[in-house]
Amino acid sequence: MTIIKLINIALRNLFRNSRRTFITVLVSASGFAALAIIAGYMEFTFFGLREMTICKGFTASGGTGHLQVFMQDALQKEERYPLEFGIEVNDKLQSNIESTGNVSFTIPRVEFNGLISNGEKSISFLGMGVDPVKESKLIEYWYALDNMSSKAVRADSSFTQLKNTAPNGVLLGEEMAKALNVKKGSGLMLMSTTVDGAVNVVDVTVAGIVQNTIKSINRYYLVTNIKTAQSLMQTEKVSKIVVILNKTENTDAVRPLLSKKLNGSSAKPLFSVIPWNNLAEYYNSVIDAYRIIFSFSGIIIVVIVFLSCTNTMLMATMERVKEIGTLKAIGISNIWIILMFLFEGFFIGVLSVVAGIALKYIFSWIINNSGFMMPPPPGMTSSYELNIFSAVEFLPWISLLVMVSTTFSGLLTFVKIRKISIVNSLTHV
Amino acid sequence: MEAKDYWPNRQQWKEKNALQMKNTVIAKLVDVSKYYGNGAARVTALDRVNLSLCRGDIVVLVGLSGSGKSTLLHLLGCIDKQDKGNIIIDGIDTSSMSLEQLAPLRLNKIGFVFQSFNLIPVLTAYENVELPLLFKGLEKKAISERVHEVLDEVGLQDRKKHYPREMSGGQQQRVAIARALAGQPSIVLADEPTANLDSKTGEGILDLLLNLNQQKKSTLVISSHDSVVLDRIKSVVHILDGRVSVDTEHSPVQT
Ligand SMILES: Nc1ncnc2c1ncn2[C@@H]1O[C@H](COP(=O)(O)OP(=O)(O)O)[C@@H](O)[C@H]1O
Ligand SMILES: [Mg+2]
Repeated sequence: MTIIKLINIALRNLFRNSRRTFITVLVSASGFAALAIIAGYMEFTFFGLREMTICKGFTASGGTGHLQVFMQDALQKEERYPLEFGIEVNDKLQSNIESTGNVSFTIPRVEFNGLISNGEKSISFLGMGVDPVKESKLIEYWYALDNMSSKAVRADSSFTQLKNTAPNGVLLGEEMAKALNVKKGSGLMLMSTTVDGAVNVVDVTVAGIVQNTIKSINRYYLVTNIKTAQSLMQTEKVSKIVVILNKTENTDAVRPLLSKKLNGSSAKPLFSVIPWNNLAEYYNSVIDAYRIIFSFSGIIIVVIVFLSCTNTMLMATMERVKEIGTLKAIGISNIWIILMFLFEGFFIGVLSVVAGIALKYIFSWIINNSGFMMPPPPGMTSSYELNIFSAVEFLPWISLLVMVSTTFSGLLTFVKIRKISIVNSLTHV
Repeated sequence: MEAKDYWPNRQQWKEKNALQMKNTVIAKLVDVSKYYGNGAARVTALDRVNLSLCRGDIVVLVGLSGSGKSTLLHLLGCIDKQDKGNIIIDGIDTSSMSLEQLAPLRLNKIGFVFQSFNLIPVLTAYENVELPLLFKGLEKKAISERVHEVLDEVGLQDRKKHYPREMSGGQQQRVAIARALAGQPSIVLADEPTANLDSKTGEGILDLLLNLNQQKKSTLVISSHDSVVLDRIKSVVHILDGRVSVDTEHSPVQT
């Protein structure tokens, strides 16, 4: 009963100086909206980065796919010759993987290195032998993503160029092309060791010059058709099999199933199945950095909300010195009076959350429909359209944060309330 | 057999008790002093005051402005602390208690009527009167009955839903009186309750206070800087420069 009355009084007091309450709520609601938009932007960034890691990748190795299958030995032992621990691909293995639930398709890849030469100058390279048709399919995945489709400027995939320059096309990084002074259509030589330890040479044609998302690897980046790489090393093996699922969310579920299917219940498993996030160094470091930045902005916003609300609350106590003194004089304990202010802070919080949710949706709608392009993230070369995700699972936490800070600012009035002298306040105007 | 003997005894006991009740000391000040300020600027607002008030006493505290009336009422009402001496309210020595610790005592035993009414602006007349009862933890029904009753007594039955700003000074002071009396306190203190009202309204307020007190038999102390009240009340405590003297002629009050 008493509590209900206190709540009632708190609400009336809120509307007493409605302009000030409005401004305080506006500040807190903006804080809420800012936090929610930051969370939405964070989700968008993480999602974009994740899908980009999976479909396109940031290194010469291309998209990580969702899972990668290696020979167990390849991860644990040093190879004495190229592809010693490569995978012997056959139709049975491939169909075994592809028949697993939620698996869409697989891509074989060969990793190799050596020298590339224009006849006068040789540069060492890190190379990747790929199946251009299947790699293009992986990139199509990226374009097919609902949340990303609007923004991606659909460039002709460099893998298409590779396919068109059969049999021995290569894609070079920009810097490497510059260093070798070649352009599309130029002839070059690749040199590498074969599985038998001999040196082999293949003539190749520049199929395309590409920009890597990570600039620093443009100097070493080289992609050939998988057949070219295999014939250079004189092997039929591949370094790994990239597995693409229908949905990224299924990664954790498919991984153990696939591992079991490939290895049986053998005590010494032959294959190892690695999820994409263990292969995504760049993704992980960027995520960590972003988390810190976002937490910082979050803290600053919460502090602003808290200070603004505390200021309002203290002003309210100053204005109501006489009333507070009267309440004390008629025998109401400080705790009740403080509780009344606490409720006021709480209701400012409630109003702020309600208004904040509205503001959040209004602003993210405006942002998402403005077509605003973000500059390329650090180390990357392409800009992208800003998109704020709804971040619904963050909203309860943000609400809690805002409510706690406004309520706590109400609680802080106890510093002032305790000090108010009854006798002095009675004559207060 | 025994029960029969018991009844007359009980009757006796009752009478005796009633008599005792009447002479019960409800508030007692022993060598109470109160100072304001420090050092050279120190003002002695009350100087070694001794005073006893019994249940049902009606006392008017008369003195010039600045003589210490408010200070004395504040101490009696437990809303300020003395610097020296002891104050006993209804058997409780309040001397060692803080103002915050005294809140329940104020709530249950004391009704204060202030010079400037001091109603809570966001509450209606009804709610202002209801407030102390809520904090006393009375039942909803009991509260409602009591508030209606006491608003009736002060003649404001039709102003229940009005906010303080919608009422005249006299009406506000009536609400304040209703609030002070609602909890049936043992002591009602009124510090110049008519000072902010015109003389006619003020007289009405005084009438009200005195009449209500006659019925309730609680102790009433009213302070006043003019003698208008004097001729209506028998017990008068004079106060001058913080020293208290009692009109010995008829007063049950002892210094
Ligand atoms: N808060 C205060 N600070 C300093 N002096 C005060 C204060 N309150 C009262 N006094 C002084 O104490 C004396 C008694 O004041 P008060 O009790 O208010 O008298 P009254 O109510 O009879 O007018 C006066 O001299 C007054 O100036
Ligand atoms: Mg006074």
